[in-house]
Formats: sequence, structure tokens, C-alpha cells
Amino acid sequence: MAQEVLAALSGNIWKVSVEVGDKVEEDDEVFVVEALKMEIPVYAPCDGTISEIKVKKGDAVEEDDVLAVID
Amino acid sequence: MRPYFEHMDEFGKELKAGRIKRAAESLAKLRETEAAIDSEKKKVEEVGFPTEKINARGWMTVWQRLEYLVDEGSWRPLHTLYNPLDNAEGTTNVIDGLAKIEGRWAVVIGFDNKFMAGAWLPGQSENILRVTDLAMRLNIPLVWLVNCSGAKLPEQEKFYANRRGAGTPFFRHAELEQAGVPVLAGIYGTNPAGGGYQSISPTILLAHKDANIAVGGVGIVSGMAPRGGFDAEMLEEIIAKTKEFTGRPPGNVETHYDHTGFFSHVYEEETGVLDGIKEYMKGIPAYAPEFFRVAEPAAPKFPAEDVYSLLPFNQKEVYDFDQILARLVDGSEHMEFRPDYGPEMYTGLCKIDGMLVGCIGNRQGFLGKGYPEYGDYPGIGGKLYRQGLIKMNEFVTLCGRDRVPMIWFQDTTGIDVGDTAERAELLGLGQSLIYSIQQTEVALMLVVLRKGSAAAHYVLGGPTANRHNAFTLGTAATEIAVMHGETAAVATYARRAVKEKDAGRPLEPIIEKMNELAQRYRDTSDPLYCAQHGFVDEIVNLSDLRSYLQAFAGAVYQNPKSVCPRHQLILPRIIKG
Repeated sequence: MAQEVLAALSGNIWKVSVEVGDKVEEDDEVFVVEALKMEIPVYAPCDGTISEIKVKKGDAVEEDDVLAVID
Repeated sequence: MRPYFEHMDEFGKELKAGRIKRAAESLAKLRETEAAIDSEKKKVEEVGFPTEKINARGWMTVWQRLEYLVDEGSWRPLHTLYNPLDNAEGTTNVIDGLAKIEGRWAVVIGFDNKFMAGAWLPGQSENILRVTDLAMRLNIPLVWLVNCSGAKLPEQEKFYANRRGAGTPFFRHAELEQAGVPVLAGIYGTNPAGGGYQSISPTILLAHKDANIAVGGVGIVSGMAPRGGFDAEMLEEIIAKTKEFTGRPPGNVETHYDHTGFFSHVYEEETGVLDGIKEYMKGIPAYAPEFFRVAEPAAPKFPAEDVYSLLPFNQKEVYDFDQILARLVDGSEHMEFRPDYGPEMYTGLCKIDGMLVGCIGNRQGFLGKGYPEYGDYPGIGGKLYRQGLIKMNEFVTLCGRDRVPMIWFQDTTGIDVGDTAERAELLGLGQSLIYSIQQTEVALMLVVLRKGSAAAHYVLGGPTANRHNAFTLGTAATEIAVMHGETAAVATYARRAVKEKDAGRPLEPIIEKMNELAQRYRDTSDPLYCAQHGFVDEIVNLSDLRSYLQAFAGAVYQNPKSVCPRHQLILPRIIKG
């Protein structure tokens, strides 16, 4: 079942740590968001494979934006 | 209370391969910085005459004396790079640290007899005062290896006089003695004037056969009355007098063993003096560690080397503080205090070598939606908010009540600011934490893992907690400044930039000044600067942090002035509920 990776807070995408097709485990870093002068990792909410990445480095994101999908 | 402490909650988890890989670059930078710091420390060790030259004169160096004196593997150096007045030699010319002697912890300090026969140098008295503070705080003996030729005369104006000048340690020795903290002195070489008082002010004086101590040395005894200047004729007279003078330095062992009896013992061999100190240390009051252990000592479940992959060198990168703590404390076990409140701060009971300590540390990263509860903005770890400050006030107060020493881990950008934060009383709560610390009677130590900034550096058990802070450690990632350099540049030049812009003048000069200020902040907040100027008492390799925690716990529980029976501890009961 697909699960979305959400932005926890507003900021800019600092780093995309995965590619489509990568296998990830729960708590693996998938993005880093720059917010409040810090680099805040976004972790995989579950085990699975990255099926879609919706943002790229430098994009501004809002809280709860979907950043990627894990199947 | 055994059920509380024998098996506490386990925390931490093994490093994942991904984390190790991601941290590779950061790890390399941490190691590189540690290597650079180690290289600076090596220079301090090698200052002055080479060891061979000292040995050829029949003497041991201070380092050789230390090695012979202290229990193997117990030396925890402090202030190695401390050089607040920027001496060209890179040192204040004393070597100090915590060490065990005959199984008992002591603060040990010695003059470096390789340089100017152990002279007083600028900044040395501040170094010694830190050391006497440490002995007082931990209530453990101060052991001196005296070998002091007196003041470096051409620079006397920098240290001879003043409230915290070179005479102040003698008052501190008296203070220690009156507080029941003995000062043992092994005395070598020629110790005139300042060296004489360094020798006479301790509690027990153990001398080498060639040692002498005196109010004044040969130079003063044979000196001439000032005549308003020098000329060639006078210099010839001085040369002649100096050549004629064949007398021995005053205050040798015949005088101060046979006549005054100031020396308790005199030893033929240099090592005999050290053996004498060891004998006295056997008689120093010290509880067996078992007296205060709440559980058997245990190593952390995870390797100390992991910390290199957990603490990012990049100051902007967040990390999991709990994972670092799990690499430092016994069995990677703890009892966390109020885990559901004040998420930016960790507070909990842990064990070091089976002895109870209270740990406090900044958690990093996004603190979750709805926090801080009083603001409409996201909370980020490293900052202090209302709940975290209240929680620390409670925890510190309870540690004080239970006589539990505290270990603080600092990585903070400051206390939340703005009118919303003011209405949430953060200014008052920060000072309340200082009040709470001050009203306790337990020792604390501090590790500045990375950032120490703004008032948060003060309130989080900072070195400004004079009476309580035994010592502060830094790491290769430590950065201490009132604020980030670029923030300071904006604060300093923003208004001027507006004026220049409005006046149609070029902005390049402002940009240049802003970059200069930011660079100045970088240069004056890095680990080396922090160590040289006493912002920290030592920069320690991450893999050695636990050994200092062990020294702190062992020393603070060696002979505490006040105890709380373990079955009367209230903090673990509050945590258990």
C-alpha cells in the first residue's frame, strides 16, 4: 500500500537523499529540508520502494506537502 | 532501591549503514580537527628544553614525574591549550588534570620544568585558580609538583599583581585547607620568591634532596640598590659580583628540613618524592566506590566510536542527542524525567561506573506540530522554550535535593525570542534556571557538544556557574559565541547598509566589513580558540568523552560533603510515578 512522505514544516528542499526505485527502511533519511536555519531530515515513514518524488532541490515546501511516495 | 537502578530502561539503537555512509564526510572533518588539536597539544608538551637535556642534568621532566605518580590510564588532562594572554610559548607553563593516585582521585598540577625552570608566566594564575576551584568543587586533594623559578621578570606586569594575580593561589591554598581539602606538594629544584610561596602554602611538603625554597633567590640576595639606571661601569661591577658569587641558593634542605622542619620528608631520588605523595594519598579520606554505586558498572551497549557518525560537524545538521548519550552511559540505560514535556530538552537519570548522575542535553530537530504551545511558529531543537526551561528547573532542583551530580550536554542556539516568547516568561524562566542551579550543592560538568550561544550558554550549566561547574569540555565541533557571526554582522551593519543605500553610496565597503566580522567570529569561536581562552577546560576527542565522565563521577562521589541515602531519593520515585 502506498504511503506518502510529508513535509513536517515549511522550508526549502536542501537535499533529495533517494531516487525513484530506491529501497528504503523505516526511519531512513529521504529528504533534508532547510528551515529555521537548520537542516532537518525527513525520514521514511515505512519500509518500501520510492515510487515517486514530487520535489527537487531548492523547492519551497509547506507543512504537509507530499514530497514522495513509498510503495 | 535496587529494582530502580539495576536494570533501567534501555535506549539507543545500532547505527544503520545509511547513517554511517551519510556521516563519512562529517566524520573525516571531526577526525581532522581532532588531529589538529592533538598537534597543538603536542607542541605544548614539547615546549622548552628537550627531555634528554633535562634528564642529562639528572632531573625528570614534569611529564615523567606525572607518569610515575598517577595510576596508569587515569590521567585526564585539562587546560592543555589554555593560554589566555597569548604567550608565545603557547602555554601558561603549568600542566594539570584529574588523575588517580593509589586508587584515589586528585587534581594534579605541576610546573613545566623544561621551560625557564618552571617560571610564572602570564595567564598562569588564572590557570591555577581554575585548578584550585576544581579541587574545592570536587572536594578532592590538590597535588602539586612544584619546580618554580619564580616570575618571568620581563613580563611581570601581566601577572604579578591584581585580584587574580600570581599571589592569589596562595590564598586559595589557605581556602582549600580551611575547607578540609589537603594540598600535597612534591618539591624539586630551585624555588625562590613566588616559587617559595608555591612551596610553603601547601599542607604537606615533600622535598627532593636538591630542592630549595626561599623568600628570595640568589639574584635578589646578591642584588644592588637601584641607582636610577645603568651604564658601562655599573655593568662591569655587576659582572664582577656575579662571577664572585659562589653561594648556594638559600633555603635548601639543611635549612628547611633540619632547622625549620617545613619539609616533612626529604628524598634522595626524584621518584622518592613521588612515592611519598603516593603514601600520603593512601591516607586521604575516600569512600569506596561501592558506597555510592546503585548498580554494577557497565560499558555502554554501543561503541564510543559511533559518536563520530552521530554528531554532525556541520552546525546546521540536526541529530539525535539520545543516540549520543546512549554511547556514553552505563548499559545505555536511563530513567527519563518527563519525556512528554519540554521536547527540546532531555533530562534523565543515568549511571556512570554504577554511580547515579543527572543528564541534561539539548535535543535537535523539528519538535513537532503545536510546539511551542504558546506560539504560532514551529519549534526547533537547540532553542529553549517554556516547557524545557520549566522541566530543567524541576530536574535541577530535584538533583540538588537528591545530591545527584549533573552532566550537561550543550548544543544551543539560544532561548526563543520575540514578544510571544516574552509573554511566555522565557526571560524569567532562564534566570530561574540559574537560580535553581545556584541553590543546589552538587557539582556539575558540561560538555559543549557543538554550539554554545546567547544566554542559553549561561543557563545550561555553563562555565559561568562558577561554584558548581567543575569543568567544561569541548569537542572538535564546539563553537562558542554570543551569536552566529553572520547574524552578528547583520545586527551590526544592517542599519548602516540602509543609510548607505539611501544615500546612493556603494555597498561594497559594508559587504567587506560584514564578511570581516563573520570571519572574526569564526576565528574566535572555534575549538582551539575556546580552549586557549578558557571557554572550555579541554577539547576532548569524542571517543574519550566517557573517560572524563568517569573521572567526574568517580571524583565527585569520592568524598562528598553531603549525601542522600538511596532509599530516600525522590527523583526516581517521581519518574516512576
